Amino acid sequence: MADLNIQNLTKKYGQVVALNDVTLSIGSGEIVGLLGPNGAGKSTLLKIIVGILRPTSGSVVLDGIDVLKNPESAKRIIGYLPENAALYTGLTVTEFLQFVGKIRAVADSDLDSKISEALKAFDIEEKKNSLVGSLSKGTKQKVAIIASTLHEPRFLVLDEPLSGLDPKTQRFVNHWISSTAEKGVTVFLSTHNLDIAQDYASKIAIIDRGKIAAVGELNSLRKIANAKYDAKLDDVFLKLTSESS
Amino acid sequence: MNFGRNVWILLRYWVKGRFSRTTLIAILLGEIAFSIFVLFAGSTFLSFSSRFGQGGAQITEVSWSLVLGFYLIGLVQSGFSGAGLPVSSADVDYVFTSPVKTSEMFAAKILLNSIAVLFSFPPIFLLYLRSTFFYGTPAVTAIAAGFITVVFFLMGLLLSADVTLALRANTGRRMTAVKYGFMGAILVLSLIPIALVIPGAQTSFLSNFIRLLPSGTVAEITVGLVGGLAISLERYIFDLSILSAWLVMLLFIGTRLSQRQFYELLQVTDSSQVDQSKDHVEVSKLNPQGRSVWSVVRTKERILMNRTKEGRGQVFSALILSVFLVVYALAGTFTSSPTSFLFILSIIGSFGSGNAMSWIEKERLWILKTSSISLRRYVKQVFIARVTPLLLYLTPAIAAVGALLIASNIGKPETLLGISLALSGSIQIAAITMGGSMYFASKFAQSSTDDIISLQAQDMTNIKRIVLQTVINLIMVGPLMVLVLAGGWLTGIFGVGSIIPIGVFLSMVGVSYTVLLLNVILNGAGDSINKREDL
Repeated sequence: MADLNIQNLTKKYGQVVALNDVTLSIGSGEIVGLLGPNGAGKSTLLKIIVGILRPTSGSVVLDGIDVLKNPESAKRIIGYLPENAALYTGLTVTEFLQFVGKIRAVADSDLDSKISEALKAFDIEEKKNSLVGSLSKGTKQKVAIIASTLHEPRFLVLDEPLSGLDPKTQRFVNHWISSTAEKGVTVFLSTHNLDIAQDYASKIAIIDRGKIAAVGELNSLRKIANAKYDAKLDDVFLKLTSESS
Repeated sequence: MNFGRNVWILLRYWVKGRFSRTTLIAILLGEIAFSIFVLFAGSTFLSFSSRFGQGGAQITEVSWSLVLGFYLIGLVQSGFSGAGLPVSSADVDYVFTSPVKTSEMFAAKILLNSIAVLFSFPPIFLLYLRSTFFYGTPAVTAIAAGFITVVFFLMGLLLSADVTLALRANTGRRMTAVKYGFMGAILVLSLIPIALVIPGAQTSFLSNFIRLLPSGTVAEITVGLVGGLAISLERYIFDLSILSAWLVMLLFIGTRLSQRQFYELLQVTDSSQVDQSKDHVEVSKLNPQGRSVWSVVRTKERILMNRTKEGRGQVFSALILSVFLVVYALAGTFTSSPTSFLFILSIIGSFGSGNAMSWIEKERLWILKTSSISLRRYVKQVFIARVTPLLLYLTPAIAAVGALLIASNIGKPETLLGISLALSGSIQIAAITMGGSMYFASKFAQSSTDDIISLQAQDMTNIKRIVLQTVINLIMVGPLMVLVLAGGWLTGIFGVGSIIPIGVFLSMVGVSYTVLLLNVILNGAGDSINKREDL
């Protein structure tokens, strides 16, 4: 299990402020949903956590490790699934996963068995020798998920994991996320799917124009938004992000 | 009336989309580079032909016919890969869903391609102009020859478009036999003109046979004009009639095919990509058990290169280079002159820069950046995987030209030293230009998940990359070129007796410089990936 502490995180692209003084804490074993309108800064925040982007200022500490000062150590315990994950289309599924396992330092003795088990669990065993480029979007997403978890991360960052997937695959991925969290893995996911966030996340963070507008369970978000006691998450979300007309 | 109006609207829309300011800058730079290359290659060939062609233009006609024949083969190949009539996603979203007729789309696409073909006129005209100086014919013939060649290029584009239009969805594999048969037939017909330069051949029969292909007809007209061949007016008129017949026929076929098949172009798989058909399976070739991560990285890179046919492309490039270099050596222009050595160095070295873009396009930077591996070492391993086959392919080209040059300079130790240093230096230059290009690709080239830079901004970035890459690569290989010249100076100072120690010393300096430089630029490439924020 891993906990995350983000303090005063700011990211600027020239004059554009993508993240503005973001502070957020996630406890071990939690599933936290990150909601926000398009361009609110969700992906930027996730990319800073996983070490792809450098912030302009602020700190990110994961399980006691400063992600910015010691990225190599942090990357060993983080799994990341980007939105529309681009994979090596010229490799077969097995080759791709072997390559990813190797660069993520999975032991040789475990690598093949882990790949084999994961392909079985995700019901894509028959695709193991298919070129990644020939797979459907849903199967590619499953391969990307396996790739992001082969090294058994303690902290999982998922950027729009359900984007573009059919209902069957969405249900599968949702089930996988909750079962992963049950094993003690902390999950931080961004999504536009409010139902998923409501059903699966133990805590929800709402980000708007680079700032965290509210964090907490649904009830506390209702209070912050001055919404009714039985208001749905989408009403709360719209109130907090000033999108309601 | 509506036909013309719709075609005009489409043409304006596509021209605006295609010829942006940055594209025009790129075209201008390309025109300059291509003109220089064409003049260099043309001059080399003319020297060669005057040495082996008894001063006549017939060998030029035969060679030009071959070059144009190979151009046709290339177009047929691109036609089969679906690139004969390129269709963009914007076409699909906005044009294909409109009530515009397919024949109107076809006409507008062909007109757009015709505009692009016009850009080939300046370098081609320069080539013919150079030839008129050589053969002592009026300069005005170069204009006529240039115009005829542009018509030929347009005809080639029509042929390519027709081939693409003839394809159907998922017919790529079934069409393989047809494709190679077609290309083989063109190759055989293109090679027939070689018989013309064989003494005692049935010239009149063969010269008629050549005109089975438009490439032969165009070669006869253009070389006839600029080379001052004794061709009657009736023959010219007949040749032009044949050419017009080809043009009309290909246009007619294209128009007919476009009415049937235009929409299915969307389904045609681009052969430059990995074959992604549903049933494509491969046995794992990575075999990571018991191997280091770096060995696996190298294997991964080789697998990707092979599956995307990059290796085959390198072999073809090396073959073309070999032929050119042998022609260059036989032409006699490669003498003891230092500029000749430098030319060899730069032309072989330039082969290194070609495949850096292929690397970055296939790389998935998010996977690398979220792992804890050293990106500096990663880039070095990729470099090793990519440079090794390139150097293996280049070696026969270097050996071929080396054998010719060394044989013709036996007894001239100073020249032999220069040749040896130049040939070994060319390998190092190829490695440096590849490393340099990987650095610039890692810094500027678009990665697959780039979602920040707009297309036009990326165009400009690409121009910046190519210009910077060319200049910096030249600066980086400069010291190796100086070493070749230094060989001559040092031999002059210390005498011919010291030639071996001088050669060994300069070679060691060259290798040390190359290794150190590669280390620096590849570290830089790794750091650039680390700093990239566009993924």
